[in-house]
Amino acid sequence: MAQSKFAINTFVQTTSRSELRALLAASSVKLTLPQAQDIIAHAESLGAKTAFRLGVIHTYTSDLLDPWFTFEAALQGFDLQIYHAPYGITFQEASKNSGLVQHKPDMTLLLLRREDLHPDLAYPLSRLSPAQQEELLNESIAELLSLVAQFREHAVGLIVLTLLPSLNAPGLGLFDAQSERSEAAWWAKLKMEVTARISASLSSCLFVDLDEVLLQIGRNNFFDHRFWYSSRFPFKTEAAQELARRVVGLGAVIKSPKAKVIVLDADNTLWGGVIGEDGMSGIALGPDYPGNAFVDFQRRLLNFQQRGFLLALCSKNNAADLDQVLQEHPHQILRDQHFAARRVNWEPKPENLKALADELNLGLDSFIFVDDSSHECAAVRYTLPQVEVIQTPSRAVEVPFCLDQVARLEVLSLTAEDLTKTEMYAQERMRREFIGNSGSNGLGGENYLHSLGMKMTINLDCIAHLSRLSQLTQKTNQFNLTTRRYNEHQIGEFINNRNCLVADFSLADVFGDSGIVGLAIFTIRSDNRADLDAFMMSCRVIGREAESAFLHALLRVLAGRGIQEVYAEFLPTAKNGLAKDFLANQGFLAEAEGEYIWDLQSQAPKNLDTFPITVMINV
Amino acid sequence: MSTFEQLQSVIASTLKIPPANITETSSKDDFSGSWDSLGHVNLMMALEQTFGIYLDVEDFAKLVSVPTILQYLKDQGIE
Repeated sequence: MAQSKFAINTFVQTTSRSELRALLAASSVKLTLPQAQDIIAHAESLGAKTAFRLGVIHTYTSDLLDPWFTFEAALQGFDLQIYHAPYGITFQEASKNSGLVQHKPDMTLLLLRREDLHPDLAYPLSRLSPAQQEELLNESIAELLSLVAQFREHAVGLIVLTLLPSLNAPGLGLFDAQSERSEAAWWAKLKMEVTARISASLSSCLFVDLDEVLLQIGRNNFFDHRFWYSSRFPFKTEAAQELARRVVGLGAVIKSPKAKVIVLDADNTLWGGVIGEDGMSGIALGPDYPGNAFVDFQRRLLNFQQRGFLLALCSKNNAADLDQVLQEHPHQILRDQHFAARRVNWEPKPENLKALADELNLGLDSFIFVDDSSHECAAVRYTLPQVEVIQTPSRAVEVPFCLDQVARLEVLSLTAEDLTKTEMYAQERMRREFIGNSGSNGLGGENYLHSLGMKMTINLDCIAHLSRLSQLTQKTNQFNLTTRRYNEHQIGEFINNRNCLVADFSLADVFGDSGIVGLAIFTIRSDNRADLDAFMMSCRVIGREAESAFLHALLRVLAGRGIQEVYAEFLPTAKNGLAKDFLANQGFLAEAEGEYIWDLQSQAPKNLDTFPITVMINV
Repeated sequence: MSTFEQLQSVIASTLKIPPANITETSSKDDFSGSWDSLGHVNLMMALEQTFGIYLDVEDFAKLVSVPTILQYLKDQGIE
């Protein structure tokens, strides 16, 4: 009792929400409702809040979740407005004038019970033959998808679909796992089918698997039979809090600044001990305790990389000591190529973080900083409050899990580019080092570009690239002529429109392949004129003449299709100064402020062999 | 802190009622806006967690006033 009192006091003494979140995640204290209320009051006093509107559609009692929704919202800095649909009302809320639609939610949470999917689910699944089970499966999936699709027709924000886990173990008991009529297998199949069909056909819709919550805390800690049978409320406090944490955490993914980089300290974070003092054989990293915990943490960091987050190093060390671990330590998992950027020196960490932000062309509000030192953590929190700071736990056994509860490290979708992002940044770092070396060898910039052996692949109207192209319009701020943002649906319309030309490119060189990094959209008019609606390129490939080669290759394609004039514009924003002179430099004639024209009849585009890039066009 | 003061604080923070309004004779009916059926379930959870007790479903309906809750706690050995 005394110990939890102490913990509560430390929570209400925090000075920022990210510090409070980190402290709560690191503590194993189970909060009571009154304690949560005290923390809510404290969190709400810590600065401005963002509005977050949640709609809840439910076939079991949901109002009792509110204290925990409010608690998690307070931690994330949300001013939460919740609308609970009337009990048991579902598809009626998917209509134009429903309470839900009028609430204008950022997120709509569907809390459904399994038995809602089909009347037959009220009876044992095992009474059905495999063929009958298959039929029931298809009917249940169709029912669920049609319900979700009805909501998707309205502006109800991100749809989060959940199914309440089963109150009981499978009807066949222990034998269920062996049976060809297995209940567990039937539900697993349903979830797989439903999620596959949602990804294929419904945008902004996510299935959140509550079975995962149940696995984490156990069935006995999940269900409260008293509240279930007396009030139709299934959850024990721990389950209610965990559900709320996951749901509101998704709110942070859609409403808070996007996290993009995990910056890691090295000593006592990636391994136990200090490399400069303990040496290669002295640091804890390997198959035995405590080194195995650090190996595990490094493996988990690779998982975050797979989610599309960059890893970077920021360590006070001699660079040579650190390099030796990265290159030679037999149990080191993260090697040089896993880090998009690194600062290994004796400068203050806030300065190094700023330098990393410059190098990666990313804002500091996209940084998650992980360090074991209270001093460094405090310095970064104080100097750079926009950086989310996670202190590496002092107990090695807790280290592998220290990022598990950082809401902004969740993702709602993944593109092929996300999966290889760090790799590409690491290649870019090697290119820069290569430039450094070739400079000192007397190789000029031109020669350097030729030595990269660049190959550009241009794809025209490629529907398979839909999600990446939409992502490019959403994320590209600097080299972007018009900064028009398009969702997948809109990009699809451009691609399918015969009077539009959508071109993208990827760039490969001796160091690797960049993935799709450039996009141009032309609209073709009846008078042999083309308007450049959008033209952008990821900063990852800037400085390699790729933007010019791409533009001239496309001008050639347009000329080949009989286009006589190309109109283009530059719409200035706070961030796209980099692209300001691009059109004029390429040979476009300025017509009016920000408007340019290229007359293809009087002026031919440049020959592609004038660029240090081999260009290939796939129609 | 006396048991009453602890109870007062739990009711106040769970149901969002100013502590001063909660006396040793208060009951559910005095706070119809906040101590409603949902608030009551929340209060039952909060009582369990604060005092480390386990309530039976049958007890829920009885624990609708400060004096009955205090008596219940006393019967559980909490004074």
